[in-house]
Amino acid sequence: MAVQPSRSDRRELVRERAFTAAGLTAAVALVTTIVLFLVQLFITSRASRAAFGIPFLWRSEWNPVTEQFGALPMIIGTLITGFGALLISTPFALGIAIFLADYAGKKAAEPVKYLIGLLGGLPSVIFGLWGLFVLVPIVSRFEVWFGKLVGSEALVASGTTGVGLLAAILLLAIMILPFSASLILESLLVVPMELKEGALALGATKWDTIQNVELPYVRRSMVGALVLSLGRALGETMAVTMVIGNGMRLPHSLFDPANTLASAIANQFLEATSPVYIASLIQLALILFVIAIVINIAARVILRRGVQQ
Amino acid sequence: MTARKLKNSLMGFLVAASAGLLIAVLAVIVWHIFISGVRYLNWDFFTKAPAPFGESGGGVFNAIVGTFLITLVAAAIGTPFGMFAGIYVAEHRGQRFADIVRLCADALQGIPSIVIGIFGYTFLVARFRSYSALSASVALAFMFVPTTARVTEEVLNLVPSGLKEAAYALGARRSSVVWNVSIKTAAAGITSGLLTSMARIAGETAPLLFTAFGSRYIEWNMLRPMSALPLQIYIYASSPYPALQQQAWSAAFVLVLLILLLQFGAKHLIARVLRVKA
Repeated sequence: MAVQPSRSDRRELVRERAFTAAGLTAAVALVTTIVLFLVQLFITSRASRAAFGIPFLWRSEWNPVTEQFGALPMIIGTLITGFGALLISTPFALGIAIFLADYAGKKAAEPVKYLIGLLGGLPSVIFGLWGLFVLVPIVSRFEVWFGKLVGSEALVASGTTGVGLLAAILLLAIMILPFSASLILESLLVVPMELKEGALALGATKWDTIQNVELPYVRRSMVGALVLSLGRALGETMAVTMVIGNGMRLPHSLFDPANTLASAIANQFLEATSPVYIASLIQLALILFVIAIVINIAARVILRRGVQQ
Repeated sequence: MTARKLKNSLMGFLVAASAGLLIAVLAVIVWHIFISGVRYLNWDFFTKAPAPFGESGGGVFNAIVGTFLITLVAAAIGTPFGMFAGIYVAEHRGQRFADIVRLCADALQGIPSIVIGIFGYTFLVARFRSYSALSASVALAFMFVPTTARVTEEVLNLVPSGLKEAAYALGARRSSVVWNVSIKTAAAGITSGLLTSMARIAGETAPLLFTAFGSRYIEWNMLRPMSALPLQIYIYASSPYPALQQQAWSAAFVLVLLILLLQFGAKHLIARVLRVKA
């Protein structure tokens, strides 16, 4: 005698199917998003490629009036600010992570970790506001002092605004500090206790142990952490937009106003009226998108290998 | 004292100093926001729209309303996608496609906010020929989904497999195991993750620039341009008028307070829920 499925059984089966479909749909949607972004940005930036082609990447002129556009000043600005910030913040991030992993007891580590989370959770625009009204005047005074020091009349005269690459680098360094510190800390915490204890038992000092056992052990995941931080710095928008000065030309010194890919878009998109101008800004977004995706996936792959090792 | 020991002490001092520096920087920033922010706060600031040009006073009620509406709608759109994607990855752990989904979620978290803004513009605003709060919510949902997916997955991975196996042994189907066992066990963690994700998108400016656009009026209609606190801070900070710059600081103070509240809620309210359950 065949058993008829009861009504509640059938309802459960429908629910099961709906559940599976929902999970799969969401998962596919997430993966498709990346493709959707690529296609959408590629299509809407067509006018820029039609006008300038691939040389858009290394043309150094960005002139809305004559409608000549090239991404080089923004690419250079993005690289200088990103690597500059990473260079400044990495030693401190490393110091904080080592302090939390090896020096601070639990009682001291917890509040510091909480503060790191707090600093990392502040919105970009808040950093921008603080940078614009507090950091930029300080940078401006430094520029005048520095100009007098090296005897540069031009610097004393032109550098008094304080907005420019240097302010952006300093602000970015502060902003990525909590991010890279917590990533490095995460990797330090997986170092096996036995390794450290072994070194200490051999008479190594605490720092000997850190330098010769701990840091070599996490080398690979540390690279991953720094690459992720770099990605964060390259794409940071609002804070940089507010202090970098929207300079359209190739910067010649750290005190010059400049633009990153992100800040050029934020500064100019609403003013852009001609189709080529708009398409060129979207093209910048496309470049930034590709850089961000490549960096993030590379960092994750490095980090995963670091863990497996 | 040998050179080795000297180096040991010196490095110990340096790492402690770098932690001290971080705290000092944070203290300076918070101090400025507090001091400059509180000074201009008054009742009007919370209850009124911006004053017409040239008049003093006015507030940012329009931006407060906007931040709440845009953030909540973004969360409403993003939560089902994020949660189900997280469930999918957690339930298919170790499978190739689940790994790809997780990698995509990680990569999406790294997309610069301005790119999300441009995408929102070309995808929605340009297509429907109007700036709107809804397009801003959709743009923010693209940031909300990957974070939520990752948090959901991580929390679900913490559910003891014994609990799930017990349910399976009783003949329960996967959907009811996930709903009635995993999600219920992990509910507090998932809620906490949702609040954290909301705290993150509530502070975003760049995705709103070309979507919500901003408005001087108190607007409740999601299909019209709308202001939000981060947007208002950016616009006021870039203006040459000291009165508006002051309001930027006050708005910053309110925004930071709101975000801290969400983060605090995520951390402590959930801890309490857990304690009551236990």
